[in-house]
Amino acid sequence: MLKTTMKHLKFSKRGISNVIVVMLSLVLLVIVVANVILWSYQMNQLDWERMREDIAITDVCASGGGTLFAFKNTGSLTSHIVAVWVNNATRHHRYEKNVFINSGDNASYIWSDINLPNKPYNVKVVTERGNTAIFSSG
Amino acid sequence: MVWKACFTHDIRAITPVLSSLLLMVVAVAAMAIATTATYVITTNLRENMSERLIIEDVWFNPSTGNIQVYLHNIGKIAIHFSAIYVNHTSQPFASPSSFEMNEHCWINVSRSWTSGTLYYMDVVTTRGTHVEDYYEAP
Repeated sequence: MLKTTMKHLKFSKRGISNVIVVMLSLVLLVIVVANVILWSYQMNQLDWERMREDIAITDVCASGGGTLFAFKNTGSLTSHIVAVWVNNATRHHRYEKNVFINSGDNASYIWSDINLPNKPYNVKVVTERGNTAIFSSG
Repeated sequence: MVWKACFTHDIRAITPVLSSLLLMVVAVAAMAIATTATYVITTNLRENMSERLIIEDVWFNPSTGNIQVYLHNIGKIAIHFSAIYVNHTSQPFASPSSFEMNEHCWINVSRSWTSGTLYYMDVVTTRGTHVEDYYEAP
């Protein structure tokens, strides 16, 4: 019975074009779906990392010729600070920075290029993932 | 020479050859269209998913009387702005209309503001991404 069926399939060429069309369509469909799912996964990973990042400014004060900034990374990922904002009513200034703070670390930096304005002011840091931490002078 | 004469003067079985050729052309064209459409659809989906934009800072500038918005492209693709809305009203803005990856810049929104008033800012890209929030003028 099996032999007869195989023989029939081997010599019958009817319906081959349908099979080829379905196979080609399936290949295209798989490429589209795989591409979209993989990219979506990658972007979701970025969003997930952004949600898990948690950084805080614990202290900001004038120190010598510059300003001391103390940070605490309470998240489970290393934070990459890319910018520091010093704002008050008359000035909003962005300073480019390139600082990495490991997960769970406390870190302090004295930046001589930053001078604090008169109080009240806000200090804001921006991470590479797009999160911010804010310190108000009160 | 005999073979050549035979091929050039014998027109039998031309129809099946032509039909096969035409079928091949149609099949190749159909696959080319399907592949191009797949590429375009996949690229559009990927671009839509890759857009990430943050508002780093909003400055109600007292010296110019305008609102300045600092935007940062943290996504994986260049962003083109289509509109900026303040309180659901489209506002003219003077700035580069597109940001490359990791680019950041001030956008000047030509709109006057009143101290103590809450403003709803909405930045819209050409791919339909919205970045929106409420900001109170100091």
